[in-house]
Amino acid sequence: MRRILAQTRKELTQLVRDKMALALALVLPCTQLILMGSAISLTVADLPIAVQDLDDSPTSRTLIDAFRHSNTFRIVPFAVDRQPETAFTSNLARAALIIPARFGRDIARGVTSPVQMLIDASDSNTARLVSGYAAEVTAAWNADHGGGARVAPVQAAIRFWYNPGRSSKRFYGPGIFVLGLSLFPPLLASLASAKEGEQKTILQVYVSSISAHEFLLGKILTFVLVSFCECLLLLTLLFTYFGLNFAGDPTCFIVATIFYAFCVCSFGTLIGSAIPNQQVAMQMVMLGGFLLVFMLSGLIYPIQNVPIQIRWLSNFIWGRYYIDIVRDALLEGGGWPAQWWKVVIIAFTGSVFYTMSWRNMRRMQLKA
Amino acid sequence: MKKLAQFFLSYRLRALLRKEFAQMRRDRRLIMSLCVFPTMQLLLFTLVLNATVSNLKLGIIDDSRTPESRGLTSTLTESKSFKLAGYYYSTEKLGDAISRGDVDAGVIIPFTYAKDLQRGHPVTVQLLLNAMNANTAAIAQGYAEGVIGTYNATLEQGGLHAKFLQIPVSDISRRGVARLSGAYLYNPGLVASWFVVTGIFGLLLVMNGAMVASTSMVKEREAGTIEQLLMSPAGTYEIIVAKIAPLFLVLFVMVAFAITLIKIAFDVPFQGSIFTLLSGSALCVLAGIGIGTVIATFTHSAFQAQLTSFFVNPLFTTASGAITPAEAIPNWLQPLVKINPIRHFSVIARSSMIKGSGLETLWPNFLVLSIFAFIMVSASVWRFRKQLS
Repeated sequence: MRRILAQTRKELTQLVRDKMALALALVLPCTQLILMGSAISLTVADLPIAVQDLDDSPTSRTLIDAFRHSNTFRIVPFAVDRQPETAFTSNLARAALIIPARFGRDIARGVTSPVQMLIDASDSNTARLVSGYAAEVTAAWNADHGGGARVAPVQAAIRFWYNPGRSSKRFYGPGIFVLGLSLFPPLLASLASAKEGEQKTILQVYVSSISAHEFLLGKILTFVLVSFCECLLLLTLLFTYFGLNFAGDPTCFIVATIFYAFCVCSFGTLIGSAIPNQQVAMQMVMLGGFLLVFMLSGLIYPIQNVPIQIRWLSNFIWGRYYIDIVRDALLEGGGWPAQWWKVVIIAFTGSVFYTMSWRNMRRMQLKA
Repeated sequence: MKKLAQFFLSYRLRALLRKEFAQMRRDRRLIMSLCVFPTMQLLLFTLVLNATVSNLKLGIIDDSRTPESRGLTSTLTESKSFKLAGYYYSTEKLGDAISRGDVDAGVIIPFTYAKDLQRGHPVTVQLLLNAMNANTAAIAQGYAEGVIGTYNATLEQGGLHAKFLQIPVSDISRRGVARLSGAYLYNPGLVASWFVVTGIFGLLLVMNGAMVASTSMVKEREAGTIEQLLMSPAGTYEIIVAKIAPLFLVLFVMVAFAITLIKIAFDVPFQGSIFTLLSGSALCVLAGIGIGTVIATFTHSAFQAQLTSFFVNPLFTTASGAITPAEAIPNWLQPLVKINPIRHFSVIARSSMIKGSGLETLWPNFLVLSIFAFIMVSASVWRFRKQLS
């Protein structure tokens, strides 16, 4: 135990002296969380739409006002005599609303009047959102100004659970938190281990009385501590800037975080001890920590959309389970009953990584 | 003009170019990593990043248990948007299922559903959506409203609606309704990959350009041969131009690969001129190389350059609108979006490929890209001599 702590102290001293490493460990995760957490969003507000009002009557203007007053749309000026397509090819607008001549007259006469909405579908997701929002705005206008008071037999009362404001920040914030934890601590761990191999200081470790277990645990413990600091910093940000809070019992999250920190740090140490080259080790961690967690864990887009040929891979991505746990703790509040098996998987993956790095180190001898 | 021609034909520059090309040719790994790796990334990213919302798992509490209520559930689950995940008998069970993630949405049909419909009373059905993912929730809401609208229309056709028409007083002053008919232009099938692949294309050009440029610039420094290069009669401009030219060529081969892949694997339409796209990619590659050379002048080894790009890359990738809509980026980040080469290239790629825009509408994007590339390359020339001290 004493030797493990000594090893940890040595690593921490080294870390504190390296300004670049400190920045990687503490500053970069925070900036990444703020930057990506607020910039990644698929739901658009303030979309520019062009309006061609061929009717130009008080009635048509109320319809345009309905669109103007919604949060989602912003009306951009567009001449009536231009083809609406030119608004799309010049990226002036994402959609065009075309109100036919005689619109006001039709409405006053009690006739259904068609209004056209041309949507630039080169971004298919936004196009879908635009059509949904436009339908809602029109329905609201019909209820207020048109004869929309016809009672629909079945009405849906839609309730949004866990994120009633439908804020993207609250969904992506916890995801980026996981990304930060899966990237930086293992990166530092792998760099520290690879450096020993690169500068051959590993020989001193081999000839000393320290055992492979003690050496590895000392290293891992250091970076687990670093992950805890990072975790606290990021959580503070999540609680303040992102306005999140624990939705239920936080013990599941806390236990999972301890195991996850152990898991990713063992992964980093494994890479670092297997590849005695800082640059290559860094690329490997980037691949494992960033690319896989970023793409195959449901961070931005749902995993169900990944083609089945690749999707099975995501079952092996440790970050995927942790993302579920963090989102559950901060938004849903399911706690242990919903998430216990994911904690077990993370702990298991961590022990696999640890065993692998121990097998790699146990002889404490240079490879021939 | 004559001076420029002289500059490019000067003996010194040709010699330097020959040196750089020879070095590049010997570096097989670099060429492979520039042609194979990005192709794979492009394929993988585009396959994986897909925002389509379909087959949402729907849990149902049917307190009515009548043919009418089953009609509603089958209308909901017949669509591609929802699929039936199970029936539940209490709201607590359904709530648990939503929180566990077994179910994405829940419908609660009240006990009096069929009775009210027959009597001509409007019925409210509760729809619970797991709104953790804001995008999924917004789209699911649209789907659900659409499906229920269709269901109401079928009720109307089935004669049931006649009862409802009697409820409001059918007076003569009744006004008409606006019926919104939407049309999706350029991508009527709403293929998600067209948007993502064009964004990833720009992302790869800038990121790979920066990476390759910084490692190859820093290599000279690591090997200690940079002093010899600076001692030679060649000017800084000549050294940098000679360094950039082979990189530019190799990256352009990558562009050709990527465009072929975009066309063949993802079947993105090619409405605009290939010239617009190619000149846009050329500028984008230059901008990427520019970022790389600037990073290289601040660092001493390839490892350090890579670490530095850790700090720079997230800035450019997140504020780019390459895989998420640029309008969704908050206001305080918009200035960065305005100068971001990835952003401007993805606008060029999307508009020229999918929408067929030409230079006459895309010139502002071209202008920003060229200014960005010019500033980056000039800055690296200016820093190049300083870096020795």
